[in-house]
Amino acid sequence: MHHSDVYAISSKDIVFESFDGEAVVLDLSSGKYFGFSDSGSRIWQALSSGVDAQVLIGLTAGASTIGRAELEGFVSQLLELGLLVCLDAPPQPLPSELLAELAATSEPLTVSVHDDLADLIIVDPIHEVEEPVGWPAVKQAS
Amino acid sequence: MKLSVIMPVYNRERYVVSALRSLVRQRDAADLDIIVIDDGSTDGSAEAVRSMMRETPCIRLFQQSNMGVAKARNAGLRQLPPDAAFVSFLDSDDISLAGRFKTDLARFKANFGLELTYSLMTLADRIDDERLEPTADSRTMTLRGISLGTALFKRGLVDRMGQFDEDFEQAEDTDYLLRVFETAPNYELVDAVAIYYRRHAGNVTKEHSGRVRNHLRAIHKSMRRRKADPSLREVQGIFELKSPADWQML
Repeated sequence: MHHSDVYAISSKDIVFESFDGEAVVLDLSSGKYFGFSDSGSRIWQALSSGVDAQVLIGLTAGASTIGRAELEGFVSQLLELGLLVCLDAPPQPLPSELLAELAATSEPLTVSVHDDLADLIIVDPIHEVEEPVGWPAVKQAS
Repeated sequence: MKLSVIMPVYNRERYVVSALRSLVRQRDAADLDIIVIDDGSTDGSAEAVRSMMRETPCIRLFQQSNMGVAKARNAGLRQLPPDAAFVSFLDSDDISLAGRFKTDLARFKANFGLELTYSLMTLADRIDDERLEPTADSRTMTLRGISLGTALFKRGLVDRMGQFDEDFEQAEDTDYLLRVFETAPNYELVDAVAIYYRRHAGNVTKEHSGRVRNHLRAIHKSMRRRKADPSLREVQGIFELKSPADWQML
């Protein structure tokens, strides 16, 4: 594990939502989107809100308990994908409802990467636009 | 051969006549049936549509209280006549290019099993409403993006897809098109521009977070469908930025 076990969303280009407890993350700069298993969704929620990763080790999730190696592997993936960065800040507490939701999950920790909508996500229609003319924020390549 | 075009309208009195004119000029391509759903406009949109109807009987106007674009599109689907062989859409501030339907319908004639053509769109921030073309000083960007206006559906595909998901306040078209492409219909990607998508202050939502949330929901629904049914496929190779090629996102 890294010197700090507290993480944060890496940039404002990383946007995410949870629907029925399932997280979807979008990287507006690359156009990739990311899906998670049920346990991965809850761990994403915890890590992205500043919960100390160490607190998650040994918790019941995915019909098992979260092992150190498993969690480290998952966190490494999220760092390599550019979704999270290490943060030098005091950790946030793990919400009790997240603990209960985690215990109810049945799948191992996984994140999947998808690029089939990349051009669409990058250009239109959800990217930030210049106001007031409503033009997609583009720059000329050097 | 009847082609029905569904157009939801909400407070677009300034643009709706141009949009309708861009369709009506293509009457030679098919037996055109334009279904306008006025979704509770509070401006002169309905009257603008009626003014076109006086000389153009192929326009049918239906009015409802404001329910949002997904319900308006579904109201349009319910008005499809039994003999409509083809279905398309056009938003009330966009322009359908001259000759677009003729070109696409020829593809269906040449390929009997074809269910869908999906063309390009050009974003333009200045459109000459007389010529129905971008002005010389308009910025333009051409892409194969999310727009129902670039799709021409054979009726059977539309019937198979069912309704728009009315839980979406926006991005209902993203959800619909992802559902369409996941089922791997027999489609052709057409390298010609079908619509000018008018970028103006009024069609850029003020609330960016709501826009993002709706798109994330559409993507989440797509992932969930594919997880539940492995026969569904990723929508690979459909959406692409075509031009200008030397531009990239900030």
